Amino acid sequence: MQNLQNLLMGFAVVLSMQNVLVTLLGAVLGLIVGAMPGIGSLAGVALLLPLTYKFNPTTAIIMLGALYYSNMYGGAFSAILLNIPGDSPAVMTALDGYPMATKKNRPGQALFTANMSSFIGGLIGMLILTFMGPLLADIGLKFGPAEMTALLLVAMTSIGWLVGENPVKGVVLTMVGILLASMGMDTLTGSARYDFGNIYLLGGIPFTPFVIGAVGFSQVLKLMAERNVTIEGNLNQKLTIKGSMLTRHDLKRLLPPALRSGLMGTFVGVLPGAGATTGAFLGYAMQKAFKSEEPLGSGAIEGIAACEAANNAAAAGSFAPLLALGIPGSGTGAVLLGGLMMWGLNPGPLLFSTNPDFAWGLIASLFLANILTLAIAVGIIPFLIKILTVPVRMLIPIITVVCVVGSYSTSNSMYGVIIMFLSGFFGYILDRNGYGVAPMLLAFVLAPLLESNMRKAFIISNGSVAIFFQKPISAVLILILFAIVLTPVIKFLIQKVRTIGK
Amino acid sequence: MKKLTVLLSMVLIASVALFAGGEGEKSTSGEKTFVPTRNIEWYVTSSPGGGSDIFTRVIMDIAVAENLLNKQNVVVQYKTDGGGEVGRLHVSQIRAGVQADHSLLTFNSGDLMPMLKNTNNRFENFQPIAHMAVDKHLIFVGEYSKYKSFEEMLAALKRGERLVLGGSKGDDIGCHAALIQELGVTEDQFSYIAHDATSGAITGILGGHFDLLISKPAAAAQYVEAGKITPILALSTSRFPGNLSGAPTLSEFGYNNVEVPNWRSIVAPKSMSAEAVAYWTNVFAQVAQTTDWNEGYIEKQKLVPDFMDSETFRAYGMQFQKDYLASIGK
Repeated sequence: MQNLQNLLMGFAVVLSMQNVLVTLLGAVLGLIVGAMPGIGSLAGVALLLPLTYKFNPTTAIIMLGALYYSNMYGGAFSAILLNIPGDSPAVMTALDGYPMATKKNRPGQALFTANMSSFIGGLIGMLILTFMGPLLADIGLKFGPAEMTALLLVAMTSIGWLVGENPVKGVVLTMVGILLASMGMDTLTGSARYDFGNIYLLGGIPFTPFVIGAVGFSQVLKLMAERNVTIEGNLNQKLTIKGSMLTRHDLKRLLPPALRSGLMGTFVGVLPGAGATTGAFLGYAMQKAFKSEEPLGSGAIEGIAACEAANNAAAAGSFAPLLALGIPGSGTGAVLLGGLMMWGLNPGPLLFSTNPDFAWGLIASLFLANILTLAIAVGIIPFLIKILTVPVRMLIPIITVVCVVGSYSTSNSMYGVIIMFLSGFFGYILDRNGYGVAPMLLAFVLAPLLESNMRKAFIISNGSVAIFFQKPISAVLILILFAIVLTPVIKFLIQKVRTIGK
Repeated sequence: MKKLTVLLSMVLIASVALFAGGEGEKSTSGEKTFVPTRNIEWYVTSSPGGGSDIFTRVIMDIAVAENLLNKQNVVVQYKTDGGGEVGRLHVSQIRAGVQADHSLLTFNSGDLMPMLKNTNNRFENFQPIAHMAVDKHLIFVGEYSKYKSFEEMLAALKRGERLVLGGSKGDDIGCHAALIQELGVTEDQFSYIAHDATSGAITGILGGHFDLLISKPAAAAQYVEAGKITPILALSTSRFPGNLSGAPTLSEFGYNNVEVPNWRSIVAPKSMSAEAVAYWTNVFAQVAQTTDWNEGYIEKQKLVPDFMDSETFRAYGMQFQKDYLASIGK
């Protein structure tokens, strides 16, 4: 009840003319930044941060919070329409969003699904943040290296759901993802690893250009190979909001995965080091375990809903440790933390008690940003889907330019562009030979987290594996891991024994 | 024809000399001086919004407000490839001329250490400009830690117990190495866990996943105030002020003090002209004297102001490099 009162106080802060305007500004900027490949929330918040130094802190955080949050919406636009994820959390959105927009000829509905799921996921995350924020942050603290290792091992098994029909191909690509992720400086000692004497490789393979290439540029190559096959029918699409509305049946399909991913995403957002990207990947992988009306990857509403709800929920969830403890849950959170210090606030466990108007104002502004962004995002759907009416022969150079600019802007150098082209060709070859890139990307995201947590756990325990069984959380997670891994083996053995018996 | 060639060559040489020497330099009473005449390119080798970026932007804002840059703009260039090594190598290789005189690089001890460890680039490949401030470290215990004071920690080490210290990368690792050397224990007995940032290590100690934390004062102050962590040892030659004053130094226990300061500085391409070096050192000396710098940055970030001009900083940096290379056996 106290929290509800605090939230209302937060709304009193937010609903001033000035703060509503900056929320709106943040929401619009976030959509734009999110939709532009290569410029994610981290760069968007960081670039705008210096502008806010002269603002009062509450107004400043409201704007940046809205920007960070609405960014999760924007990333889906280019993922669905061009198959180029606008930011890393939208990688999985492309897997079903693009086929739904092109093959199923339902671009408006695909965008609407992404927006509605983002709204639902975000709303769940915000409600949990409001009523259980500090508690949630405390739960996050219980996840030390041992617990995170066990959790990530369970998460890694979800790759099994992504491998598709040919498990061997999936396992090979998982290994490739892990190997690529281990390039660059060792996360614990800072020593060079697989750099082959190249100064650029010291920093490892940058994720955004890698993804833009593997998912987006490989698509360009595919389009070039099939350039004479035109995508029919898009012009017949009614370019209005009404024509993009979801049917009641669509909504029924959207709700369960959005609600599930909303809950799971919030939890992932709270965990140390795991952000919206991990949330989206796990949301999608989790959906594989549930029933979908159409197979995932073929343009299923469930697939879009699962990852979009998860990434927005994770973005909301990551505010819990930031506000309650001053601990950033992601790179963007770290920049916001730097901002808090520059504005003269002291982020930490005392923030809620020393600056309640600030903390609750921010939470209230997230609710406002969620509604405003949904309204804007739905409003621009008819304009966005016009992109699909552009003929393929013109789309090819346009997408190529977007890929080049996006990968250049991640580190302002041609290194990103080279990585994008290489991973694009690699992704194309994989696609031609029936390898899906999803396991590789998931392994690329999870492997560094797993490695660093596992090594930290072993330093704490002096090399003993007992650490994973001594603490209740990690012990339960390891049991779940065994259950997941061994169930098919045991099933297989039982079946074999039965057939021999017969 | 031959005469024409000679004449043309002379005109060419004269005009090159005129243009090369003309820009950015004014002659007053026969002595060459420098003022910036075009955009200043300021390189930062870590991501926007991080510590180095904030340091750079604060200095830039003060220099602009105090009108120290001859009304020229500063363009911050983020060069983060290769963990920042690409940007550092680029700056060290800028050739003499107008560009070199208008290029600066934010350079901290946290940048120097991985550079020395993983590349052949060295401090002497840069022109030191100004050393602005240092950050020092403290050791803390958390609510769930087994030990409550440095005495208890020492006693545990003497009993042969195994201790784990969590902290950030770079200079925190250097501090741990110097501390175990001074205490005469091995890395196996007093291990270190490096996190990407201090906030990760704070999460670890708040959750009770290890017993000891190493942190700089600014990152830890709020948690000390909230009673979540307690400082037990100052890795400095004197105690810290404020709510960190309870932490003794090593010399109070009969050991030599251990101090591996994280310094924050500005360097330039090695090829920068002497006139430009004098100009930039003077600009940052003036910045270091402003209230905005001392109250708006140094106090807020709980740093120790420590301005050094170009030559003093060169000697300091070279010694730091020599000590660090020796410590990693290079």
